[in-house]
Amino acid sequence: MPHPGWSIFSFEGIGTQWEISTPEVLAPTVSHQLLQTVAAYDATWSRFRQDSLVSGLSRGPGSITLPEHAVALQSLYSTLYQLSDAAMTPLIGTSLERLGYDAGYTLKPSGNPEAAPRWEDVLEWSGTQLTAKEPLVLDIGAAGKGQLVDLLGEVLRASGHSDFLVDGSGDMLHAGSQPVTVALEHPYNPKQAIGTLELQNSALCASASNRRAWGDGLHHVLDGTTGKPIETTVATWTLAASAMVADALATAMFMMEPSSLEEDFDFSWLRVSSNGAATFSRHFEGRLFT
Amino acid sequence: MTTPLRKSLYVGIAGLSIMGTAAACAPTTESPSTQTPATQNGGQASTTSPSSSGAAAASGESTYKDGTYSSDGTYTSPNGQETVGVELTLAADKVSAVNITVHPSNPNTKKFQGEFASGIAAQIVGKDIDELNVSKVAGSSLTSGGFNEAVEQIKSQAK
Repeated sequence: MPHPGWSIFSFEGIGTQWEISTPEVLAPTVSHQLLQTVAAYDATWSRFRQDSLVSGLSRGPGSITLPEHAVALQSLYSTLYQLSDAAMTPLIGTSLERLGYDAGYTLKPSGNPEAAPRWEDVLEWSGTQLTAKEPLVLDIGAAGKGQLVDLLGEVLRASGHSDFLVDGSGDMLHAGSQPVTVALEHPYNPKQAIGTLELQNSALCASASNRRAWGDGLHHVLDGTTGKPIETTVATWTLAASAMVADALATAMFMMEPSSLEEDFDFSWLRVSSNGAATFSRHFEGRLFT
Repeated sequence: MTTPLRKSLYVGIAGLSIMGTAAACAPTTESPSTQTPATQNGGQASTTSPSSSGAAAASGESTYKDGTYSSDGTYTSPNGQETVGVELTLAADKVSAVNITVHPSNPNTKKFQGEFASGIAAQIVGKDIDELNVSKVAGSSLTSGGFNEAVEQIKSQAK
């Protein structure tokens, strides 16, 4: 609980645990709306569900009409695709499946790593219209959870809540006058933290390769140009106005230097490399334990 | 991909060493508003709010007028002539904020200026979360019941 006396609404959604904290207990209509938003997002984007909108594209070429929030997602992904020279891509799904991170959680590689198909070759995505020219496994996992955090924040704001913390298992959006102190989990020891941060009216997201790992050198952060897991960076944290952007940049920092992202995005960052060295932008100065 | 030509970065102590050179070119441009591109980074700008010094300024003892001053400085790098913009906020004769605007012409220089402005480094040190007064933890998301179950299954199969 971020503050004494606050009320917590917890539920499971898109395969992970959620906690929404507010000073007042949420009205049933609001909590219902939150759950509806989560369910709708999952039904659109999940590559782990046969009946989701995008999973139809894995069975054959076709066009789909996405919800309005897809506009922001497309813009973000296309910017990062270009900035990262195709390393960060929504087409990473096939590469993930190749290494065993598939809908059945096989967790066994079915072959050598495989680069993601090139966006310009196989995908036309403009706003809410998306066309696959061949069967595609879309995976918007790098920004999707963050965007859902934002969407839940919008539901809360629209129903009159100005103080809240939306926490999607570590990806968070805070609003209001009471900051929340957040520990930054140690990438090699989940019982430890490497620092703390005051979160207020901002989103904080993290990405790390230690948890969703399933074998020798196999984890879920892949380079789209090779289809291989990235080994040099083990954990990243980002602060930005929206959780969608923070979430995406936390993954992008596995593939590219923060300085090249700073030209296009307003964000603060912390990155830990596999040798335990941390580099960070100014906002994180003095926040790490010494 | 279009990228902004001018990009401002807010620097910590590490950035102060070049102030001497760049600020030396400053006197001609005493105008808080000429360098508007530097304020586009609203998110970071808000973290470096200048300390308020209304009282000191009102006392009339200041040598310099309070305000924000900016100028471009040039230096010669192995890549040729490069420019760096410096913006200082003065309050009661003290520098309350420094803002470096990098606008290098050469990609290498751009890289080095970026590292110079933001490359603060340290070795991580862990503390037990139980001993910290925190209610929230941000790290690798504890994702996916399905994933965790599958890992457990594999572990048991592997025994």
